[in-house]
Amino acid sequence: MIILKTENLSKEFPGVLALDNVNFDLEEGEIHGIVGENGAGKSTLVKILAGVFPPTRGKIYLYGKELHSHSPRELINIIGFVDQERELIPSFTVIENLFLGNEIVQGGFLKNRELQEKAKTFLKNYNVNLDLLALTRNLSPGQQQMLTIMKVLFRKPKIIIFDEPTASLSVKEIEIFNRLIEELRASKVSIIYISHRLSEVLSFANRITVLRNGKKVVTVRANEVSEKDLIRYMIAKDMHEQYPKIKKEIGDRIFEVKNYTNKKYGFNNINFYIKSGEIVGFAGLVGSGRTELAKLIFTGDRNSVGEIIFLSKEFIPKGPKDSINKGIVMIPEKRREEGIILGMSVKDNLALPNLDILSIGGFLKEQAINKHSLFLINSFNIKLASPLQLVYTLSGGNQQKVSVAKWLGERKINLWIFDEPTQGIDVETKTEIYLFMENLAKNGAGVWFISSDLNELLAISDRIYVMNKHKIVGEFSPPYNREMILSKMLGG
Amino acid sequence: MIEREARFEFQNFFIRYGTIFALFLITVFFSLTAKGFVEIANILNILRQISLLTIISEGFTMCLLIGEIDLSFAQIASLASVISADLMLKGWNPLISVLLSLSVGPLIGLGNGVLVTKVGIPALITTLSTGMITGGTVYMYTKGISLYGNMPISFLNIGRGNIGPLPILVLIMLLFVSLFQIVVNKTKFGKYMRATGENPTAAWLAGINIESYKRLGFILSGLGAAITGVLLTARLGAASPEGASGFLMDGFATALLGQTVFGIGKPTPFGTFIGALIVGTLNNGMTLLGAPYYIQDITKGIIIILSVSATSLQKKKIERR
Repeated sequence: MIILKTENLSKEFPGVLALDNVNFDLEEGEIHGIVGENGAGKSTLVKILAGVFPPTRGKIYLYGKELHSHSPRELINIIGFVDQERELIPSFTVIENLFLGNEIVQGGFLKNRELQEKAKTFLKNYNVNLDLLALTRNLSPGQQQMLTIMKVLFRKPKIIIFDEPTASLSVKEIEIFNRLIEELRASKVSIIYISHRLSEVLSFANRITVLRNGKKVVTVRANEVSEKDLIRYMIAKDMHEQYPKIKKEIGDRIFEVKNYTNKKYGFNNINFYIKSGEIVGFAGLVGSGRTELAKLIFTGDRNSVGEIIFLSKEFIPKGPKDSINKGIVMIPEKRREEGIILGMSVKDNLALPNLDILSIGGFLKEQAINKHSLFLINSFNIKLASPLQLVYTLSGGNQQKVSVAKWLGERKINLWIFDEPTQGIDVETKTEIYLFMENLAKNGAGVWFISSDLNELLAISDRIYVMNKHKIVGEFSPPYNREMILSKMLGG
Repeated sequence: MIEREARFEFQNFFIRYGTIFALFLITVFFSLTAKGFVEIANILNILRQISLLTIISEGFTMCLLIGEIDLSFAQIASLASVISADLMLKGWNPLISVLLSLSVGPLIGLGNGVLVTKVGIPALITTLSTGMITGGTVYMYTKGISLYGNMPISFLNIGRGNIGPLPILVLIMLLFVSLFQIVVNKTKFGKYMRATGENPTAAWLAGINIESYKRLGFILSGLGAAITGVLLTARLGAASPEGASGFLMDGFATALLGQTVFGIGKPTPFGTFIGALIVGTLNNGMTLLGAPYYIQDITKGIIIILSVSATSLQKKKIERR
């Protein structure tokens, strides 16, 4: 019997179609795996099912009845969701988190003894060993994950959604988790299971749905496919999308990181280099440490050890201001939070990093600023009504152009860090940004290119490092072996 | 479709000019109901009444500009007020007395800024505490009694004199508003302060030293407060330990109202001036109508809630895009 079903489910975020007409169904008592590359739409799909946000179009049926704009609260006892981001309150004890929103009370007072008894038997049932009175923030990431799972199970939902449940678990915890899954299967709970670990999905799932670019590729029986088949489904075949490539000369090493270690952030002996004229791609899963590494090097951190050579000189990162003055800029991944200032005009956003040059004795040179912003707006083809327009009114692609364009000024920049520069923007703008990166490299700068979109990474990069669990686990040069890169990304 | 656009236009109009329109309505209301409201003398009186409020609110506006809050400015004004009175009553040179009492503002402001940026205490708690300390110091300094006596005429003239038809206080206020308006809109520092307030992370990643601009905001807030305190002494010819405490509520109402003047949610010096006009007109008109003081408090409380609601709703709209 099918208990949960979607019909032509779509979700649009500003400028991007995250989910495109997906038909998905879940049978009673089955474990249904969902796989796909980063950004394929897996999390979007399950978040809609869990009621985190509504779909833009399409229908959801639960037990054959159509669901209308449901909120997570209404369904919390039917659909349980173990999110990638753990929803625990760090300053609460284990037991407080376990019962959160589900407390046993009498006349407004908590019945502590009863709560404890109940929690003990419950955890024991699933062989989970947690100190009930420990503060949640003192638990290991794995223990926190187990607690999150227990919290969801506690409500005895009919359907459980797991989004990357084992990413932070230790070997021993994974064993406990595997047993837990078998128990749930035996008690006829239906499970939707997202994981990058294909072997795991293959061993658990009855059926597997593969998503790619927001579309469903296929739903298959797990015993009829191999890991290789899945990877083939996950990878897009339409490789002849437009990725511009400019001929450029690759020079000497412009930037080199030697034995970079930062215990606090879990980096140990990171080594890599970027040559002038080179676009160096960083592949990896979300959470593999690519963004953190770039940010630490750009913004500086006192826990950092190791040597960084930039333009043949030792470079000790002191902060964004210092890095920028020395010729390194970063276009951050979270453009709305970090790349632009939403409530300021396009003109002001474009002028902001260049005000030292665009002012005399502190006073702004209005004419120069106008000229500067018009130049950037034209050369980047930023579509707007007026330079005085507030940035938040622009589309995602145009916002990203502002975030990139503002760095063009009198300043000489030798290393550009692009963190997911094309995420959530339209195809046309993507191509423009690739072209811009190519031109930067052609003019002798080095480009550090972080992307979760493997297609663009392979097409644009002159060399690729693969990161996994805060380590560089591979270095590749063209022609790229796509399967090798993917397996390094997913490995371990 | 047309209807929707028309509605959008109307909304836009309201966001842009709603506050100025409100000032207009209030003025019309009091002109019709309060006797003596429209006389030149009364209008000059309103301007004189709001001059100190405007100056202290302009300082606080700088604090809002960097995205922080200051609860200590009224007490800073009291401290500057009693120090200036005390020194002059002791026969010190007026200029030195004024400069010395002015210096407490930026100093306490700097202290606020350091506690917020270097130690990391939220501004609300920092300035609440430094405000209490400052207030306590005022009482310790004055032993709780008001200071009055013979002060130099040159000093008292600042608070009472006219140049042509205009009171000197009003001229100082206009100078202050223009100066701050220029700093905010026409200088690098103003842009950096706004960027820091709007989005500290993005500003930091763009190479702006956000901590020093945050401190600058607190320093300017302290400076505005100290200037207000000294001018208060000049106007009254006396200083009392509680003399400036009323500026806290009025300053908040003024500056928060001011944020709604040019596109909601943007602290601007000229907007704050409009805010002061509204608060001053309400104070004046309600007094003329004989409204009890508690009605004035209730009105100002409502103003704060309305203007902050408008700002918050606009911010929500920006974030949702």
